[in-house]
Amino acid sequence: MDTLASLLHTSPALAWMVVKIVIVFSAVMLLASVWTWVERRGSAMIQDRIGPNRAALFGRIRIIGLAQLLADGIKFFFKEDLEPTDVNRGLFWLAPFLAFVPAMLGFAVIPFGRDFVSGGTIYHLSVLDPGNGMGMLYPMAIGGLAVYGVLVAAWSSNNKWSILGGMRASAAMVSYEIGMSLAVVSIFMTTGGYDPAEIISAQGSLPWHWNVVPQFLGFIVFFTCMFAETNRLPFDFAEGESEIVAGFNTEYGSMKFSLLALAEYAHLMTASALVVTLFFGGWQVPFVAHPSVGLSILSFVVKLLFFAWVFVWIRWTLPRFRYDQMMRLGWKAMLPMSMVNLVVHAWLMSHGR
Amino acid sequence: MGVVVKKVELSWLDRTYVWPVLKGMGITFKHFIKQLFTPTSKRYTIQYPDMKKVMPAGYRGLHELKRFEDGAIKCVACFMCAEACPARCISIEAEEFSDLNITQGFEEKRPQVFKIDMLRCIYCGMCEEACPKDAIWLRNDYEVAAYDRLSMQFGKWDLMNTYAEADGKARITEDPMPSAPRRVLAM
Repeated sequence: MDTLASLLHTSPALAWMVVKIVIVFSAVMLLASVWTWVERRGSAMIQDRIGPNRAALFGRIRIIGLAQLLADGIKFFFKEDLEPTDVNRGLFWLAPFLAFVPAMLGFAVIPFGRDFVSGGTIYHLSVLDPGNGMGMLYPMAIGGLAVYGVLVAAWSSNNKWSILGGMRASAAMVSYEIGMSLAVVSIFMTTGGYDPAEIISAQGSLPWHWNVVPQFLGFIVFFTCMFAETNRLPFDFAEGESEIVAGFNTEYGSMKFSLLALAEYAHLMTASALVVTLFFGGWQVPFVAHPSVGLSILSFVVKLLFFAWVFVWIRWTLPRFRYDQMMRLGWKAMLPMSMVNLVVHAWLMSHGR
Repeated sequence: MGVVVKKVELSWLDRTYVWPVLKGMGITFKHFIKQLFTPTSKRYTIQYPDMKKVMPAGYRGLHELKRFEDGAIKCVACFMCAEACPARCISIEAEEFSDLNITQGFEEKRPQVFKIDMLRCIYCGMCEEACPKDAIWLRNDYEVAAYDRLSMQFGKWDLMNTYAEADGKARITEDPMPSAPRRVLAM
């Protein structure tokens, strides 16, 4: 790291920062784009189909259809960037970025591996070092911003289907955010801090000490709310082919659509990183008290990919909810459940357990 | 009388919604694993250009004009198929011929031109049923396509050779020559 920094004429801290940012964000973007393929291929397998397997590099190397990513990217890149006449031009251009940036930013505080000491300095494997004073509040706040991407895209399209989808989606996201936040609050409470590093180290390496076991109710609530937050089935109210065409991205085409679609998958990655950090011990390796850095990163990535797959898996298992059903579930089931969870854990803590 | 809809009473376990979700996930995962470990040849999907569907017996695909073993056409140009054709896609021009070996010198008819407009044909099989000589068959080839309309007009020699490769027969491009002058054995 020091040699790299001296080569670039910067301080080691800055070089390390840049390296972290590049690694984390390129990894998330890569995973998000790979996950578009995983989604299509996985759904195909679940439904006894085959899915995209024909795209090949140089028309020859098929690699089980992974070249589909490149093909899709090239296709989207070279499509005409169509802009309907009545759109609000500035917001129409801004919306894909408003959707994509918060989805990526949420990842910034997530520790993806164990801290390590090299040359007398501690290196933290998260973009924002622990002790930055924001902790897990930051991804929650950024997750709240994700509403704007959908809503601005919907509003600027000047299309009634779009605005209906955007309104529904933002209503869903806002109402599920409360239950989600309360579930997270009870974790803050039992941990005694809201820094992700603290939350992870408090969970330890034994799987039955991870938050998912004592706070199973909280996990259920949080995970369900994450589906609403990421706007995925069974709560995908931003879209709805039978009712409102493609919802908020009806008017979008080419690279702007691609960015909106990628935002969904980046959001999915961030969501599963949050689930892993809060409930499944982050980078903790089961039964290994002091894992090596590589092992801890591997553990985190495996958990992350598993939950990202669960998002896909659930999407192709459950039918979608009706809007009123989802609202009822959000306000009458998720909110009371997370409140009960909070109160029970507060009571347990007050009795010293 | 209306249909009485029976309401299903859900057990408390089902009403938590978590357990049914897990059950459903189990089902989808079973399908996922099963499909993942099924070899490509045994999946439901037939990946068309690489794999082809085996057509059932009696499938009505591309026509073949049948021939005798020596290569002479079986068709006697009776026009029954052209009459039976609801799409009016068959056009025949007959000619007379005589042959010592085939017709014992008698004059017989055969098509000089036998044309099927494949763009018009509806593959109903009426020509096959109407044919008194079993000279026209609809068989299992379904890949009838061309880059222009003219190529879809199948002539006599196209139709006689449609299944030559599939059956391992030689392609023929002309009728066997009459080997004797006309009416030698007649009367």
